[in-house]
Amino acid sequence: MAETRTMTPKERILKLFAGEKVDRPPCFSGMGNATTEGLGRFGYKFAALHSNAKMMADVAASTYKLTGFECGVVPFDLCVEAEALGCEINVYAHLDDILYPTIKRKIIHNEDEMGISIPQDFTRRGRIPLVKEAIGLVKADIGGDVAVGTYVLGPFTLAGQIMELNDLLKLSFKKPEKVGNLLDILADAIVLCAKEFEEAGADYITVREMGATSDVLSPRVFKNLILPYLKKIFGQLRTNTVLHICGKTNDIAPFMVESGASAISVDQKNDVAETRKKIGSALLFGNYDPYNILVAGSEANVRQAIRKCMDDGVDAVWPGCDIWPTVPIENIKAMMDEVFNYRRLA
Amino acid sequence: MITEEKRQELLERLRNSVIQYDEDGAKEASNEVVELGMDANDAIFNGLVSGMEEVGRLFEAQEYFVPELLMSADALYAGLDILKPHVRQLDLGVKGSVVIGTVEGDVHDIGKNIVKMMFDVAGFTVYDLGRDVPLDKFVEEQLKTDSDLVCLSAMMTTTMVGMKKVIDDLRAKNPNVKIMIGGAPVSSDIAGKWGADGYAKDANNALKDAINMVSSLKKMKEEAEARKKG
Repeated sequence: MAETRTMTPKERILKLFAGEKVDRPPCFSGMGNATTEGLGRFGYKFAALHSNAKMMADVAASTYKLTGFECGVVPFDLCVEAEALGCEINVYAHLDDILYPTIKRKIIHNEDEMGISIPQDFTRRGRIPLVKEAIGLVKADIGGDVAVGTYVLGPFTLAGQIMELNDLLKLSFKKPEKVGNLLDILADAIVLCAKEFEEAGADYITVREMGATSDVLSPRVFKNLILPYLKKIFGQLRTNTVLHICGKTNDIAPFMVESGASAISVDQKNDVAETRKKIGSALLFGNYDPYNILVAGSEANVRQAIRKCMDDGVDAVWPGCDIWPTVPIENIKAMMDEVFNYRRLA
Repeated sequence: MITEEKRQELLERLRNSVIQYDEDGAKEASNEVVELGMDANDAIFNGLVSGMEEVGRLFEAQEYFVPELLMSADALYAGLDILKPHVRQLDLGVKGSVVIGTVEGDVHDIGKNIVKMMFDVAGFTVYDLGRDVPLDKFVEEQLKTDSDLVCLSAMMTTTMVGMKKVIDDLRAKNPNVKIMIGGAPVSSDIAGKWGADGYAKDANNALKDAINMVSSLKKMKEEAEARKKG
């Protein structure tokens, strides 16, 4: 059953960020949500989206048009900043299967090369201008109705893109000051990039710092080594912001709030009811499993998971990661329907 | 022959070097093992591996995280490199071989490397395809090497789906091969649905599961040999 509109999805999301009361949680994401259905409408290949602003924007807007999912988000990969810093990427253009781009060549090969500097023309390099253009196109297309979002990487995750993750992890332990210096430089680069996206009119920016999950790093290292640079980033952004970390996050959720992001985002491994107790009324987005539930689950699984998110107390129904493109459109529609009606029926 | 007391001391030093990720300590103790003619197999399993088991426990208890795990693995390898040439007979006894790699689209290889370490320790021949491995390559390599086991790793949901294709292909060409999948997004549900023989959701579970997998392979071989004799 569709809902009677009292406000646009965009107004609801902006009110939520502004700390105002809303009638129900919005249902959107700060991460990729391309669908094969959307790709099919235009006859686009996934690999081609990454280097074409119009194609990127078309597919980003198509999810809303096909399902009512309340946002448009670009880009679809995690390599934009690393590429602009000089890394070479692989978009897997030779494959018909959907694969997300990865870094083929890194710029730091050993400990001694960690003192990098940001290129002078950083914001004009790689695909930063292209993503900026795509944000504008999505806004022009659906931006009157829904919020338009984009994302950047967190400094630790970006460090793991431009150097061997193995080395980065060990150095975080053995030589934290050296890693700290690198994160400081990368925080500056991330701010430069995010400012461009702000200028393009992004309604919200998600900082994806999944490399710092408690599955990998101790909460103590997160607090001492990574949190200061997340604070540096959020302190300089003016638009609405979300800090996303996947995996185990229960112990670091309060630090995530402390980072200064407008909202925090967690995945299905987080016990949201528990987190809610720890962080009070801070905005918390999450936390359904975007693959096992939304793609591989039945409609009943989807409805149950979405009800649980709302019962546990999320402020927005939001996936734990990118939504895998083969998602059945019917499952997204079932999710939307559940969000529209659950509270009212209860 | 060395005294039991000396043996215990060396085992303890090996074990502690791994737990305290002390590469130099592992090297020194291993060199002493070799000089004194102590059984290298004993030193590996009751020293280094015993230490790694404790690291696994600390990881599970969230006292250790991935950086500590990696540094402990470095210490284990530092000792293993010295001890391995002196191993006469391996305790686990399976002369197995394994093809291992991270699936195409995924450049994360830490979990894969931890599992690989256990196979190295167990004396397996390991065909490490590395990371971002084209799916066909797994099948090709298994057929070429006639390996008993194929291990597929994916760190991200977005690459995990590729594993199903490899499993189907492997099964079609060789119904007897054992397949183990691992990585953060993997669940027992998915492993079951896709027809994998084992799964591991994180590095520590991978460690345990690799040990289980090795013993189950050993059992299979023994049964096969018993049938041959009978």
